Amino acid sequence: MNNRRKLWSIFGPVIVACLLVLGFFALPWSSSHSQATLQKAADSLSPRVFKNSSIKVAAMQDKKKNYIPFFGSSELNRMDRYHPAVMAARYHNYTPFLFGSRGTQSLPQLFNMTMMAPEMKNGKAVYIISPQWFVKEGVMPSAFKYYNGTYANLTWLKQANPDSPYDRYTAKRLVKLLGAEGSVANYAKKIADGKHLSSWDRTRIDMESTLLKHEDELFSGWFLKDNYNDRIKPRINELPKTYSYSALTKEAISDAKHSSNNNRFGILNQFYDRRVKGHLKDIPGSQKHYSYLKSPEYADLEVVLNQLKKTNTNVVFMITPVNAKWEKMTGLSMPMYYQTANKIKYQLRSQGFNNIVDYSHDGGKPGFMEDTIHIGWAGWVNFDHRIAPFLEQKQPQPHYHMNKAFLSSEWQNLNPTTANLNQFTKDHLDK
Amino acid sequence: MSWLESLPNYTAYGTPSYFIYLLIAVLPMGISLYFGKRLAWYEAIVSFLFIFFMFDGSSAPQMLSLIGYVVYQTILVMGYFHYRQKKNAAGVFYLMTLLSLLPIIIVKFTPAMVGHNSLLGFLGISYLTFRAVGTIIETRDGAVKDLNWWKFIRFLLFMPTITSGPIDRYRRFSKDYRKVPSREKYLEMVGKAVKYLFIGFLYKFVLAYLFGQVWLPFVKHQALMYAPHLSWWVVAVAYVYAGDLYFDFAGYSLFAVAISYLMGVETPMNFNKPFVSKNIKEFWNRWHMTLSFWFRDYIFMRFVFLASKKHWFKNRNVLSSVAYMINMLVMGFWHGVTWYYILYGFLHGSALVINDWWLRYKRKHLHIKTNAFTKGVAMFITFNFVVFSFLIFYGFLNTLWFVKH
Repeated sequence: MNNRRKLWSIFGPVIVACLLVLGFFALPWSSSHSQATLQKAADSLSPRVFKNSSIKVAAMQDKKKNYIPFFGSSELNRMDRYHPAVMAARYHNYTPFLFGSRGTQSLPQLFNMTMMAPEMKNGKAVYIISPQWFVKEGVMPSAFKYYNGTYANLTWLKQANPDSPYDRYTAKRLVKLLGAEGSVANYAKKIADGKHLSSWDRTRIDMESTLLKHEDELFSGWFLKDNYNDRIKPRINELPKTYSYSALTKEAISDAKHSSNNNRFGILNQFYDRRVKGHLKDIPGSQKHYSYLKSPEYADLEVVLNQLKKTNTNVVFMITPVNAKWEKMTGLSMPMYYQTANKIKYQLRSQGFNNIVDYSHDGGKPGFMEDTIHIGWAGWVNFDHRIAPFLEQKQPQPHYHMNKAFLSSEWQNLNPTTANLNQFTKDHLDK
Repeated sequence: MSWLESLPNYTAYGTPSYFIYLLIAVLPMGISLYFGKRLAWYEAIVSFLFIFFMFDGSSAPQMLSLIGYVVYQTILVMGYFHYRQKKNAAGVFYLMTLLSLLPIIIVKFTPAMVGHNSLLGFLGISYLTFRAVGTIIETRDGAVKDLNWWKFIRFLLFMPTITSGPIDRYRRFSKDYRKVPSREKYLEMVGKAVKYLFIGFLYKFVLAYLFGQVWLPFVKHQALMYAPHLSWWVVAVAYVYAGDLYFDFAGYSLFAVAISYLMGVETPMNFNKPFVSKNIKEFWNRWHMTLSFWFRDYIFMRFVFLASKKHWFKNRNVLSSVAYMINMLVMGFWHGVTWYYILYGFLHGSALVINDWWLRYKRKHLHIKTNAFTKGVAMFITFNFVVFSFLIFYGFLNTLWFVKH
């Protein structure tokens, strides 16, 4: 072989491969997702849907199904017959698009929302808050990373404003949770320091976003978990044709009784066998020292609220209950739990987020809880009953007025006694 | 300093686009080498720029440490080199070695003592230390004939390998540098470089991504749900982390070797299919080879020579066992002064001792014929032991047990 042939045999395949790849990503592939894909995605609870954009954007733009985002966490996976997705399919004119699994607390939800901000404009949404999120350390970095992706980060960075305390706070959290390495952290660091991204930064972000966008459009719809066909659709016809709240409640309570008869906590039998039975002896008193009163999560929630204000989304909140019989054994302090709910509600109400379904006191009602900390059966029936009118009927314009005092560490660490809350009102809100 | 911090930072081989800049910068060197000439000045400028962009931006505080460190080591090494031309006292050699090790000792002990990282540290300090100390030892052995400050810095800061190795030796490196490879030889190196780059892409940007960014956060997340209790998820963490560690580091090393080749330097390979090792000794001949050979030559062998000369041990097997333990414990401490790194070193030291004992015992008392099955069993045991030791090394158990959630 002469040298020219040698050079060609070394570099020829590389050149051909590069051309093929570039061609593949540069071609304008059609990006439309089918109705079936959207429906599947809406109940898949998939991190891929959560981290990307094209599917949820398509769903929010879809006029036929009237998708409404339900932001939450693990309770969304409690897909019994009365789950909001089943109830909506049977009785209502909207379709929940479920966003959340274990670990999707406020900050992951913020990035999720950012990826469909234009589509959420002037729409409605449901936001389910678990007091369990509000632990001292806030969202765990591992959970955050699992539900966070570069595409979402870059999308957020593109619209981030270094002059906004909300965006500076978010950027700071991003650096903390992702670690200081990598280009995303470099950009976020700038925002956190109040500096604008340079036009070179923006060019690079745009370039990378374009590739990620194509990747999202091409691949996000593949291999979605088919919760819709496996767990939602077969249950729709199990519900009576005509809606009656009292009849459904009665039925749900009797369902709950049958399905939770192997334990004294009213926990779903399978869950009890799998997750509880083995550890019974470790449980008494195990949650005695839990406290949800002080947490960075309060400020994380605040940036979500700010995002909802930006998109002028009319949102109804739900605060989740805990299983009363169960918590009696774990020793979780119920006064602390109620105080947590109060602190959350104070933060919501004082900024004009007035649609709140607070279940913190309802974890002892019959059939309300499916397991230890997750709502189910009669709980879902009630939830549907409380939110459906809000989602189906025209609502007055929301009037949100943000206060950045809720980002402060003072608020994050405030013990929400009545006196402290009054003082906080005097110091920060009555101006 | 603030202008420095506002500049963009490019970690070595961090993103695919990094390779575009790097390969464009290396291209003139390649063309020149093809025509039989080294572009020494151009190479210096490119190396300076790329190293600069590794240590600016958010890493800017490390740049001062790096500069101070390089000045300090150059003075030590050159001072010792000049001294060694005339005299050869053991005391001076030990003192110089200790002084050369001093920064890394401070950096490694600071977190355990003070609770935060030392300001002296920077990314790659370990690898620079291996090169500097190695040069002092080679100088003592009389193997280094041709050294000046520029040649030393060029070796110390050789851009493709600066932050994470492979660890080259001055004598070998300078031999490559003195001559330009023949056109035929260089084309062969370029061919290998392209192959290594692509295997590296597969390792680092596909496999390490899957293991490290997709699966690892998931299994960790699951395992931490049971904290502080153990669960099967911890086993998954061990295997997934082993995959991440290997593909990330092997990918990185392949990049470093490939770029070195393009620059006409045959940097030694770092990995050679480590997971097919049939015993732990073979594993260390295949895993992070340049580090393990460095430790073998400069710690294990030195100790064995010294102890034999002074007749510290009667029994040769005891001697080698002690040497293994010292070797691996030092390696553990080098990783960092935490219980899990030290335990990792201890485990590997013990494993080497047990392996030696088993091989002796087998030879003497058992007559097992080696066949595919015994080889399979041996590989299985070695692999699983290694994965277990990586779980310790990872420090995840520390997070699981001792960090409050």
